[in-house]
Amino acid sequence: MADRKLQLTLNGQPVVTEVVPDDLAMLDYLHEYQNLTGSRLGCGQGICHACVVIVDNPDGTCEEVRTCITGAHYFEGKKVRTIEGHAQLDDAGNPVALSPIQQKFVERFAFQCSYCAPGFVNAATVLVENAQRKPLKKSELEGAIEASLGHHVCRCTGYVRYYEATRDVLGDLGLVKEG
Amino acid sequence: MSNRDFSRRSFLQGGLVAGVGVTLAPLGSQAFAALMESRVTTSAQKWMNNDGKARFRNDALSKVCGSKVFARDIRAKDMPGWPQQQGHAMLLKATKADRIYAGFDLALLGDSLQPDRIVTAEDLKKDGIAWPEAHSPDPLLPPGQVPMFIGHPVAILIWHDFERYRKAKLKLQFNDQAIRYGAQAPLYQRDPYGSFRFVRVGGATPFDEDAFSSLKNTMLFPTILARKPVWTAEPKQHGTLTEQGLFYAGRINEQLSQPPENWLLFDERYKTPSIEPAALEPDNGNGWFDAASGTLHFVVATQCPFEVAHECVHMIKPSRFGLKHLNMHPGYTVGYGSKDNNIFVFYAAVAALYGAGVPIRLANDRYEQFQSGIKRHPFDIRYQLAVDKNDLSFQIFRAEMTVDGGGRINYSPSVAAVGATAAQSIYYMPQNDLSVTAYHSRGVEAGSMRGYGTLQSMAATEMMVDEIADRLGVDAIELRRKNALKSGMKNTQGAVPAGALRLHEILDKAGEHEWWKTRHARKQAMDAKDPDNWYGVGFAITQKDFGTGAEAPMAAVEFAADGQITLRHIGTELGTGMSTSQALVVSDFLGRVADHVQTAQTEWPELQLSTSANPYLISQAEQDAALRDPRWVGKLASPSSATNSAFYFSHATREAARVLFNHGLWPAALALWRQGPFGGQANPLVVRRENAVWVNGALTGNGLAPIPFAELARKAHEMGLVTGASVHGFNRWSWAEADFVIDGVRDRLPLDALAVKYGDGAPNAKKAQMNSNGFHLLDRQNALYPATQLNNAMVTYYSPVATIVEIKVNKGSGEVHVLNHHSWVECGRVLVPELVKGQLEGGIAMGIGHALLEEMPLYEGGPGVGDWNFNRYRLPMARHVAVWQQTSEILPPLSPTDPSKGIAEVVMIPVVGAIGNAVAHAIGKRVRDLPITPARIKEALNG
Amino acid sequence: MTRVFSNLALAIGAVFAFAAQAADQQVIKRGEYLARAADCMACHTAEGGAPYAGGLPIHSPFGTIYGTNITPDKQHGIGNYSDDEFFAALTEGKRKDGANLYPAMPYTSYHLIKREDADAIHAYLQSIAPINRAAPTTDLSFPFNVRTGLMGWNLLYGKSVQVQPAAGNSEAWQRGQYMVEVLGHCGECHTPRNLIGALEQDKRLSGGVLNGYLAPSLLAKDLAERGWTQPDLATFLKHGMSAQGSMFNEMYPVVHHSTQHLEDGDLSAMATYLLGDQPPAARVVQAVAHETMTASSQRGRQQYLNVCAGCHGADGEGKPHIAVAMKGNTILRQADSRNLVKVVLDGIREQQFTGFERMQPMPGFAGKLDDQQLTDMVNYLREAWGGLPGDLSTEQLAQLKVD
Repeated sequence: MADRKLQLTLNGQPVVTEVVPDDLAMLDYLHEYQNLTGSRLGCGQGICHACVVIVDNPDGTCEEVRTCITGAHYFEGKKVRTIEGHAQLDDAGNPVALSPIQQKFVERFAFQCSYCAPGFVNAATVLVENAQRKPLKKSELEGAIEASLGHHVCRCTGYVRYYEATRDVLGDLGLVKEG
Repeated sequence: MSNRDFSRRSFLQGGLVAGVGVTLAPLGSQAFAALMESRVTTSAQKWMNNDGKARFRNDALSKVCGSKVFARDIRAKDMPGWPQQQGHAMLLKATKADRIYAGFDLALLGDSLQPDRIVTAEDLKKDGIAWPEAHSPDPLLPPGQVPMFIGHPVAILIWHDFERYRKAKLKLQFNDQAIRYGAQAPLYQRDPYGSFRFVRVGGATPFDEDAFSSLKNTMLFPTILARKPVWTAEPKQHGTLTEQGLFYAGRINEQLSQPPENWLLFDERYKTPSIEPAALEPDNGNGWFDAASGTLHFVVATQCPFEVAHECVHMIKPSRFGLKHLNMHPGYTVGYGSKDNNIFVFYAAVAALYGAGVPIRLANDRYEQFQSGIKRHPFDIRYQLAVDKNDLSFQIFRAEMTVDGGGRINYSPSVAAVGATAAQSIYYMPQNDLSVTAYHSRGVEAGSMRGYGTLQSMAATEMMVDEIADRLGVDAIELRRKNALKSGMKNTQGAVPAGALRLHEILDKAGEHEWWKTRHARKQAMDAKDPDNWYGVGFAITQKDFGTGAEAPMAAVEFAADGQITLRHIGTELGTGMSTSQALVVSDFLGRVADHVQTAQTEWPELQLSTSANPYLISQAEQDAALRDPRWVGKLASPSSATNSAFYFSHATREAARVLFNHGLWPAALALWRQGPFGGQANPLVVRRENAVWVNGALTGNGLAPIPFAELARKAHEMGLVTGASVHGFNRWSWAEADFVIDGVRDRLPLDALAVKYGDGAPNAKKAQMNSNGFHLLDRQNALYPATQLNNAMVTYYSPVATIVEIKVNKGSGEVHVLNHHSWVECGRVLVPELVKGQLEGGIAMGIGHALLEEMPLYEGGPGVGDWNFNRYRLPMARHVAVWQQTSEILPPLSPTDPSKGIAEVVMIPVVGAIGNAVAHAIGKRVRDLPITPARIKEALNG
Repeated sequence: MTRVFSNLALAIGAVFAFAAQAADQQVIKRGEYLARAADCMACHTAEGGAPYAGGLPIHSPFGTIYGTNITPDKQHGIGNYSDDEFFAALTEGKRKDGANLYPAMPYTSYHLIKREDADAIHAYLQSIAPINRAAPTTDLSFPFNVRTGLMGWNLLYGKSVQVQPAAGNSEAWQRGQYMVEVLGHCGECHTPRNLIGALEQDKRLSGGVLNGYLAPSLLAKDLAERGWTQPDLATFLKHGMSAQGSMFNEMYPVVHHSTQHLEDGDLSAMATYLLGDQPPAARVVQAVAHETMTASSQRGRQQYLNVCAGCHGADGEGKPHIAVAMKGNTILRQADSRNLVKVVLDGIREQQFTGFERMQPMPGFAGKLDDQQLTDMVNYLREAWGGLPGDLSTEQLAQLKVD
């Protein structure tokens, strides 16, 4: 076992942590080293997807990555967004502008307890942002949402509002083409 | 055995917390603000539309931004005044229940990873920790004993830093190498947790007096011999109450053993699984014991903060730690009942005591949550139902139920009793004999998981009724219509359910539904079109009682001179939107929603309440005597639960707001309208309070000029009228009432404690009365309490829900796929329709899990071993719930004055029965054990 | 009198019919078992489809062949087959109408099926519910799309599996041989094929390549080299998992549809046959100190910790019921590492094993790790737990990726 330095970009800010154990899970790094607790431990085993963050790839695409089964050092040099990085905050830390997905989830009462909400926000955001690069066909829309959100567990809501809200955002942003 | 433990929460009573100040630490920091919900919730302007409809949940912004809203999110550095260093703890557990536990050995951790502190049974004893009786014995198993259950904790291991904790836990996980086992030993044994029998023989018609019933006479308690219930009393028609009950039970059995020609006698068994609630936030607590001041600061995930606070004090007070203050910080949480009456919080509190000044966090990972988190009880049910083949009427309903309560007594007795009393579902049963026993086992402790016994028994009843319709060759909805309760008919305990029953209205709608009307043709067409699957349609309807028979909601509503409204409430936000709903309830009387909502309030010193005795067991004489003390109440406080929130919580909120209206806003409005000579604008008109209405946040009526709330608030303050009310109510299937003289006016209210505040302009003498935590505590008069006999009613409040499903069963895999479903809900007046629909959708998903997916072995190889997770335990995913297709319908209230009824638990039940019935329609065979897995489908087809 | 007689005759007839039915039931039950052992379902059932109704696409280098409908449907299934016709189809690849079946139907193995077993399988298939649906049409490239062209192929290779003489071997070994070579038709994948798709019988069970994955050698010495013992092999066939790892890719349907349903005696017979009556000792891999590993392997450990250890454990110990151990895992011990690379890139979908065992999906890492990172990681796995040198080059890895 060894400790090593970790450098990454976290919610747009460069972050350097000198001592990070080589086998530390990213989720523990976010929680215990960065005090970012919005990425949630649900199963700790890569099943429920409550812990996912967004990684922005050099080619302009983005993807969700499960932090409970992925080591912190996997993210070396990568650009990472967590749930805490979506909304614009005022100086006091209050949200003043939500992302389109966050806004719609709120308006549609998409979540109840909200423990899984960060994972759903990240997954839906990845879908929306990738659709901004390559719009979805109407006939593929529901399938694309199922593919993006389908692995995420929610125990409170029955999923309906998350799915409908995501569909609405894609439509509202003009990311769904006929066909 | 005694049936003392029948009381669902008797042990949580206990008088005041003598000598120890239980407080909430002052606001200020980020973490506190979050925990106190003042920042979690947002100001009303943001979340309300002008039309008074909620635009989104008032807690939504923080939640969707991933803010620290759960206790789980909190670390020491988030807490003002706490040391920065965060320590961590875990429970070491013995997983072999058939071996003597002989101590542990942590050599496998090596020197570097040894815990900084190890707490064992011996420590608890030596240090005088008075572990809560309800969660005893042996919170930590002493060596030399056999574990009570698989996964019995033996020690709390504490590390003062994260990294060593993490590394050590990786080594201790998934094995019990650190546990030393001794000889093979018999399994731990104890008497059943509870055993009950409900016998009723009705009169000539449902409306005549019962010959015998639990309410009129008594429920029956067995003698326990050799850890089994037996009936030793002699049946006698004119003997003691128990002897009479046995006489009528005997008569029922005679009829069943020699049924008349024209009866169909149904007799089958149903089994339900142990269910992991799978609240995504696992159990956790984080505490710092500051020895210098004798203060325990405790951040905790619980559905009953009030009880936890009191129990913690009782637990720690006698110990060597010298507890002087308890600062409790409950967070937002989610539990579906699993964080109610949960032993976990006490381990967390104790871990903090042994932290040597370092804040200690005890937080389950998912494996540990499976291992020790409270489960839904598995039921083993035998149902007998006699039906008259000529007129299709149900004659006799008999049930024998066995309930596995797992390794510790929790709510097992009451879950068992509630399960039995709910078994009738929506039907009138002229005679019934329902017996149920909850047993100890070496499985994981089961408790108040959503459904509370009713899911288990009612889903089975709905499958039974459907099967009987098949056997009789009649339409299953017609059979239901024939036997459904009508308003005024009695339940199986002999009590009359509250208000109008709208079951037939729902049954009529269901009978007209396209899927139902054409189900045979649909099956034919679908089976031909899709030869890989069998298609089926199923229907079920249930009604769910809500409430516990000893509910005690508290709320305080105040408005400031600038018109800002604050609501304090005892309820905890569990994700069901309780804080949003309660903020809205205020608007019934104040014309606008509360600006500030503080939930999970545990401190109500202004009411100076006291209690004694167990509300379920108290005698009428004891109650009469206790009522002479105007501070005495039947129960101090309700725990929070989703079903309770709408009905019981709203009661307190609404009554507090009503006091403000009648004794603050209304007199202020009259004063404003009567300004000017000869009574001003009001003079030519007849002004009646009952005609007052709020329009766009302003009060009007009888043609008077609308007055905005803020102006009324200012005037009420100026006049020194009532501007704040703190209330307590008590409900034992009906509300306690009392007279209160409020600001000189006598008012009879459905409350048993009331304290008020007067406006800023009140004269000093009046203000001087506000000497009870800033309130004027009023003495109630002529208190009328619900009779103690009502304890035998068990339930009187019901909400009905019905669901129809379309499914297909794959011929190859045997998997059941839900294609679509539609539900009907009747829940009185709907506060926030979006929240109700959300609850419905969520409940249905949970029901689908119960019906089709979720299952674990109970003992060896089960969750107690500590290696279960969501790979093996299948939760319903979006693909299982017909996420795009499903629809629902909320029945409009009969009138705007309908109460808001609880629904959360009931929504998940009918879908379970409906799926069972749809599977039978699809494959032509009945599967009576849940979940209906491919293996059970194949067994049914081959058997 | 006549009436009485006829009633009596009816009664006697009924008794006979009943006895015959019971015997039929026994035959059908045996046929069901044999159909499991022969794993008919794997090819003749589409995913999500009714059993034996056909439709499963079988990808071959020559095109896609669809499993046919073998339910007793008279139009699209085998409802009109006689026992003889069924036997001919099973053992010679002859359709009722005389046409040749594609050799995806393993009649090269089945040709040794005992007649009574074939009849039992046939009786079972005739007893299930008919499904009236045609399987999709097979689409092969020339010359394989010409069924008559198969005649020559059949002459050359049609009966090519010949079992070894049983002399000197135990009864279990002999039973195992029938289960493995004939019913189980294991050799159809685990034997290399020549250019025209015929099995190279001189290299029997020495491993074949299937859709880029290696069906590894089942020769006793190779199995032992990769850590197999007889009990472990039997466990593996029964549960799809053992200390050596879990079944995936093309072996998963085998355990799912076939081997988990087999009797313990037959499974242990299969293990006996494969490892021999005197099995060679299973090789145990010695732990390698981190410092003595190649530079690539040493770098690879961090890759392993980054993307594998969350499930397989930092020390390769695995997690019970979650993810198999790397320590002792047989896949790491295949010298060419083809399957290891494939599985890391493709991942594994969710798999239900026996009882409550259910493996969550393993994510695929194609596109997540570059070739250098992947090479380092594979080298670490080879050296740490595979007993193999950590000397794979990025070029070799790149080659394995495209194969």
